[in-house]
Amino acid sequence: MEFSMQALLKELKRKIVEELMIEDVDPEEIPDDAPFFGRGLSLDSVDLLVLVAMLDREYGVEIFTRELGEKVLINIQTLADYVAIHRKK
Amino acid sequence: MNRPWLKNYAEHVPRSIDYPYKTVQQLLVDTSRRYPDYVSVTFNDLSFTYQELNQKVNAFAGVLGELGIKKGDRVALILPNTPTYVICFFAILKIGAVVVNINVGSKGAELLSALKTSGPRIAITLDLFVQNVLEAAADTDIEHVIIHSVLGLETKMQLPPQTPKLLVYSELVEGRTDSEPKVQVSTEDPAILQFTSGSTGCPKAAVLSHRNVVASVLQTDAWIGLNGRGNASVICIIPFFHVFGMSACMLISVLKGYRMVLMPVFSCLDVLPVMNAIATHRPLSFPAVPSLWAALVSIEGAAERLSLVEVPTSGGALLPEWVAQKFQSLTGRKIATAYGLSEASSATHFSPYPHGGPVDSIGLPLPDTDAKIVDMEEGNKVCEVGEIGELVVKGPQIMKGYWNDPVLTRKALSDGWLYTGDLAWMDEEGFFYLVNRKDDLIISGGFNVYPSQIEKVLLQHPDVEDVAVIGVSDRIKGQAIVAVLVLKEGVEENRGMFMEYCRDRLPDTKVPHHIYFRKEIPKDPAGKQLRRVLREHI
Repeated sequence: MEFSMQALLKELKRKIVEELMIEDVDPEEIPDDAPFFGRGLSLDSVDLLVLVAMLDREYGVEIFTRELGEKVLINIQTLADYVAIHRKK
Repeated sequence: MNRPWLKNYAEHVPRSIDYPYKTVQQLLVDTSRRYPDYVSVTFNDLSFTYQELNQKVNAFAGVLGELGIKKGDRVALILPNTPTYVICFFAILKIGAVVVNINVGSKGAELLSALKTSGPRIAITLDLFVQNVLEAAADTDIEHVIIHSVLGLETKMQLPPQTPKLLVYSELVEGRTDSEPKVQVSTEDPAILQFTSGSTGCPKAAVLSHRNVVASVLQTDAWIGLNGRGNASVICIIPFFHVFGMSACMLISVLKGYRMVLMPVFSCLDVLPVMNAIATHRPLSFPAVPSLWAALVSIEGAAERLSLVEVPTSGGALLPEWVAQKFQSLTGRKIATAYGLSEASSATHFSPYPHGGPVDSIGLPLPDTDAKIVDMEEGNKVCEVGEIGELVVKGPQIMKGYWNDPVLTRKALSDGWLYTGDLAWMDEEGFFYLVNRKDDLIISGGFNVYPSQIEKVLLQHPDVEDVAVIGVSDRIKGQAIVAVLVLKEGVEENRGMFMEYCRDRLPDTKVPHHIYFRKEIPKDPAGKQLRRVLREHI
């Protein structure tokens, strides 16, 4: 279980950097608790929709409410925790 | 005057409209009487009818009157798309005052400049933004700052002395039952001071009269031509402080008795419910900017929900071809694209609805709107079909001028024609095509270079996601050409390769001198490229 969580974290970091075309960032160097917003990955609202689109496409995970977004889209660890349980792909 | 576009109007579109002698607030009064029980506003779990909206508007108009606001005074709205915005907007107009529309993201020197230019006596904002507003307002003649309190911050703030008096919206309106204000307002009176998006770097406020704004709404309504949709829903995510949101979301809804589903974007997470809002409300209309459409069509299960939108519209910037095609392949519908500007109350051109026009065109002039292309030097010689020049427009929606700025007004308006500053051309069918802003024209080594020509070439490269070409000062050439590229995922930055690519496809005079890579091109809330910001960063 621990191994698969590590693999999921690594995979999510890679996909996020690729999908959002984050420049000069090595996915492996992103801390698990790096916040998505503000200081951290500094995502904007369009980035967020692109991320949500990726989660839907790659994992079959839908995050289309603010309430769920507040719980899940905090950092990569919180996202991975949710994806691990709710993924359909 | 030759108007080749008229023959391409859809059957339902009139060549001319009989504009009633109505103020903007009369649209609300009429609808509240015609459809008192229709839902006007939905915001999270809160909804109220048009009759209730009108009552709330009257109550706040009464408050403004008691605060000494008189006809012609300015009141600044620094609010996102909340019910308070809608109520305050109409209340300000009902008392004969003028709405000063200010971007909620504005702060510091920019906000101060906007407030000094427009001279409001009152500013209305959310407690979230009040610190920015108070800091700027301290150097102005603003007497009161009214806050719509979400977080109760006003009780926790340490306010410096000399700041305007802070009032809480909910306390001001509590228990009030005011009747319709009895202020005589003419359709020629100013209704709105609309700050232009600032992409040219010079903040200025377009004066939009009641006649301008009502005409603009009626033109768009006639263009779409839908009737009998009852209390249909409109998703309102485009900010009302922008003319596109104000017109296509709020005023069309009020005119027709539609339900405004308000989606203010306080933070990034606020965009998440868009797909659910579409599924829940099955909106008749969903106006959005190109970047939002691009994100939405990228969601795998989007087709079913996006198909629910009967009138998808895009404005603020050109809709990328791939987004238009993806939307059509998902839904079988075309996104209707609009071109407009703050000085024109909203749109001057629209792609034919519902069948669309050439994908890279900005569409046809709206009813009663004349448009022509004139030479860039003097602006008085009409260009031939297909020839690039400056787009000038004339119609009932065009502003009266810039607030307190006769010099800028004379530059922009001549004999009723608005010089848009946009370079464009017209085809034989009367479709117009945007080339660039006039002030984006690069003159390098004595040659005129249109950034879009280079951008078009670079966008054809399979590794390029987005591009902006700008001119930067160069001691020898006057201006050097700089291409700023946003690359697709996983693509390596390779300046040499892109230089070669351009050299193979462009005349020597148009090959960029410098290529930079960026994560994104800065854009304003309407999705328009902020070349000025880009220039500052290069």
